[in-house]
Amino acid sequence: MPRFGTMNVKPWAEGIVSDIRDYKTESVALPKAQILNLTLEIDDNKSDNLLPPAMHPSIPSYTIINVMHCPESPWGKFSIAEVRIAGRTVVRPRGFVLRSFVDTPDARRELSNRWGFPVAEGEIDLETRHDRIQARVRAGAKTILDCELIDRDFISGADIQYLANMQLARSKIDGKLILVQVDPEFTFSKAERGKPKVNILDAGAWKTGGNLEIHNPISSSYAIADVKMPVVRYIVDPERPAFQGTTKVAA
Amino acid sequence: MKFGIFYEISVPRPWSREVEKRVFDNGIEQVMLADELGFDQVWSVEHHFLEEYSHCSAPEIFLSFCAAKTKRIRVGHGIVICVPEFNNPIKVAERTATLDILSGGRLEVGTGRSATWTELGGFRVNPDETKKTWDEWVHVIPQMWTNERFEYSGRAFSMPSRAIIPKPFQNPHPPMWVAVTSPGTEIDAAERGLGSLGLTFGGFGDQEKKIANYRRIIKNCNPVGKFVNEKVSTVNFLYCHEDDAQGTKTGRRLTGTFNFLAAQLLSAREAYPTKSYPSLGLLPTLRADAAGPADDMGAPEGIAIGNPARIVREMKKWEAIGVDRVNFLLNSLETVPQAEVLASLRLFAKEVMPHFQDRTEMQTAAAGGR
Repeated sequence: MPRFGTMNVKPWAEGIVSDIRDYKTESVALPKAQILNLTLEIDDNKSDNLLPPAMHPSIPSYTIINVMHCPESPWGKFSIAEVRIAGRTVVRPRGFVLRSFVDTPDARRELSNRWGFPVAEGEIDLETRHDRIQARVRAGAKTILDCELIDRDFISGADIQYLANMQLARSKIDGKLILVQVDPEFTFSKAERGKPKVNILDAGAWKTGGNLEIHNPISSSYAIADVKMPVVRYIVDPERPAFQGTTKVAA
Repeated sequence: MKFGIFYEISVPRPWSREVEKRVFDNGIEQVMLADELGFDQVWSVEHHFLEEYSHCSAPEIFLSFCAAKTKRIRVGHGIVICVPEFNNPIKVAERTATLDILSGGRLEVGTGRSATWTELGGFRVNPDETKKTWDEWVHVIPQMWTNERFEYSGRAFSMPSRAIIPKPFQNPHPPMWVAVTSPGTEIDAAERGLGSLGLTFGGFGDQEKKIANYRRIIKNCNPVGKFVNEKVSTVNFLYCHEDDAQGTKTGRRLTGTFNFLAAQLLSAREAYPTKSYPSLGLLPTLRADAAGPADDMGAPEGIAIGNPARIVREMKKWEAIGVDRVNFLLNSLETVPQAEVLASLRLFAKEVMPHFQDRTEMQTAAAGGR
């Protein structure tokens, strides 16, 4: 059988996870979002510790760094930066979110309440330059992420496939830890591809515990897209295999 | 319609020398039985780094062994990954010719380009390039087989004049195929006069359209080889049992295990945005097709699991939409015990194959040989 994640979920969740209000959010439109996405292979031997036992590591293991600037939302403009570990819930490719740094309090509140994003406060810059797209995240007076797409090249939005999120949250209903599946829809108006480069990835801020060691850069993409944040459809017990521990909460 | 078997060589954890050897040995035993029973072909994939899913990185060695242990069954080397980081085309021409000689002219050659980042990334391949190198390889390999000396200056490969030897045993050369997974690859196959090696398990409607398109285009093809191989082959699962419920249940376990394993791999498109891989490739298609829709017994449409009557019915549907050959996957992670795999093969040969044999074949079989 395939490998399972080996994360010790409860201690890992301490001080990290958000409380999700319920599973009844409506979908929310985020028009004209700018999205920088980097994929990089990571050390298989260590990264299983960053996936909950509900998930399988992908073969090979890889991380996804995602920085999104939303110029419009019901909560005003905001930006979010995430580091995820790619995996599988049964047969579905999903990215487990280590942390989500968000730059406005309103967005932090709504993203955690509605979808269980493991939010933290950070300043986020997404800068478009002629030869690169660069993202920087600062938290606690230090830079915790500095990454780039270099050698920009136009592609079609149809060429991009983003992974849905699995994010660890605490249910306000019963206080239990759950994985929340968040699978936004994207309508692309622009897409580019380039090489990924990571200059700074602070292990303490992203709570990687030395388990995220980048080995082999894969690709990077930059897109402008209308994003439709979804209703919550599935939640999963993080400590049981997903084929046993998945609950459908909406059609 | 003809029937074959194909091998991924799926090895369950925990890995040990004994487990690895047992999976290969079981495969060889199945191939020997299939040869006796009148199966037409045995195919073996080329995959690298696909943990548990496929430990078949040296199919030409496996097939050489199969050829040595059998008398009639044809050996399908496929697909050979036509990407320079995996295979030099000179080596492909040389080793396929050698295998054709040693097998007494029983070789079929499938071509393709890999669909996983697991493999492409492992060999540091640029996914944008694979379709281009595949196209170059399929054009030069038949010339290497048939010209006494060969010289070439191309985009991804060049060589001065040399005699590429040996030459294949089959005259003019072995039949060539291409793996058809991405949308439009059936057109690539037809335009080049190559057989369509369909690697999707189910979905009659979609397959029927692809096959009709293939048949239409190949009539005006510009063949890369010395002849047109106008054949359509598909893959399927096989578990045949007298009791329909038992057959379906075990068959579902086989399909489920295969799909579960396949899902853990990293498709090229998931990791690397490129128009070179317009779909997720083989793996999600397999999952979708083999997962349903199911009938009352839980058997998905078109899948060869259940009792002989059910399997005959499903194979007749494939035949009706123009499929010439079906190659079966018999096991995954050894989830079906070897004795049951062998029994399934015997029952299929006894109860299903006669429904698809022509008069000549039946007379030959009745006389004790083919």
